[in-house]
Amino acid sequence: MVPQQAGPRAPDHALVARFAVGDERALGELYDRHGAMAYSLALAIVRERADAEEVVADVFGQAWRSAAGYDPGRGSVAGWLATITRTRALDLVRARGRRARAIERAAQADSDGLAAPLGATADLPDRRLERGEARRLVVRSLEELPEPQRRVIELAYFGGLSQTEIAAELQEPLGTVKTRMRAGMEKLRGSLAPLLSGGGS
Amino acid sequence: MTDHQWSELAAPFALGALAPDERARFQAHLAECSVCRAEVQTLSEVAARLAEAAPAATPPPGLRDRILREARQFRPLGRGRGRGPLAPWLAAAACLAIALGLGYGYLRERAESRQASAALAAARDSLAARDSLVATLLSPDMGTAALAATGQAPSARLYWSPSRRRVVMAVFRLPPAPAGRTYQLWAIAQGKPVSLGVFNTAADGRVTAAMAVPPGITFELSAVTEEPAGGSPQPTQQPFLVGKVTRAD
Repeated sequence: MVPQQAGPRAPDHALVARFAVGDERALGELYDRHGAMAYSLALAIVRERADAEEVVADVFGQAWRSAAGYDPGRGSVAGWLATITRTRALDLVRARGRRARAIERAAQADSDGLAAPLGATADLPDRRLERGEARRLVVRSLEELPEPQRRVIELAYFGGLSQTEIAAELQEPLGTVKTRMRAGMEKLRGSLAPLLSGGGS
Repeated sequence: MTDHQWSELAAPFALGALAPDERARFQAHLAECSVCRAEVQTLSEVAARLAEAAPAATPPPGLRDRILREARQFRPLGRGRGRGPLAPWLAAAACLAIALGLGYGYLRERAESRQASAALAAARDSLAARDSLVATLLSPDMGTAALAATGQAPSARLYWSPSRRRVVMAVFRLPPAPAGRTYQLWAIAQGKPVSLGVFNTAADGRVTAAMAVPPGITFELSAVTEEPAGGSPQPTQQPFLVGKVTRAD
């Protein structure tokens, strides 16, 4: 085996490994790749742009300080960053005593939901085609879910609500919420299979 | 609860939608059930992908600079008590980082372990100790760090077996610590130093020592400081030996 080169297109995990030796350029590069994703996710949860900026600064600061906490065996760097972003954003929403945007959307009887509409996504200038395609697949898969299933998943992921809280928010029986959440996630597992590590990619 | 009922909790668990008590019980179950663990792993990947469904927004232009600026100011060892930042440790380690690929790295370590055999001979006063050293060196997941001096001439080589939670260190050209002082080996785990133990060298400046690594500790960097006899809970001075761990696997 030849030693791996840290070329212009080093994989994400190689960038994270360089954090341990204080390589700021690796941090900048990781931000260039995933900063927009983190910011979009944070904004979808916290609503205020200034708050979303705080969250993202916090997320990349945490990634920088605790790069050793990233375990490649447990998922992608993007997934790791998304998890930190979601947690931080929901913490901030709770600290402010606000309700997350997803909950507000769900409270509107005939909302289209929180996820990006497909048309809007298609207009995005994607820096990398593969990423744009992956994103479109996620958006489309979510859109194709029956609306009640999509709503409980969005309330859990973007709203940070437990199943019990979702049942209260939607005024539906808890058992119904549980069934919808499971069914929706099963469908997503199928439609997102090409993006999953065990899937056909 | 039947197995079937447990697996129903995987989706809400992956979405973080279980109540705290339910989550705790499911986590306990996960420790014992590989089927549910695999289910959670996949569904967590699905959940993580949902981040991409957020409506696209453009971050403010100054955010990138702010993140880099704040990263520069990060001082994990400073704690406001006049101690130096981690940066010098990291910079020293950066100079030493050896990029070893798969296989290639392993062969190279095998060659280097021949060099270490002279140092290993010093441990033969105890058969048990020797067996432990050899077992650690032969572990398939062995990592190694070459620690080079930041000011003086000594050097050290560290062999780390995560599976056995053992490190073996061979030190060269390091004068014995002065009376009332000792050397202390640190693992830098997530930016924080964790003591692996204290040691001292013989009159010829050498020592080979095996030390236990605390459970759950995974480290990228290792360092040696001089401390008061008995060692310190945290380093009290800048390390004079620093090295980055490279993995043979």
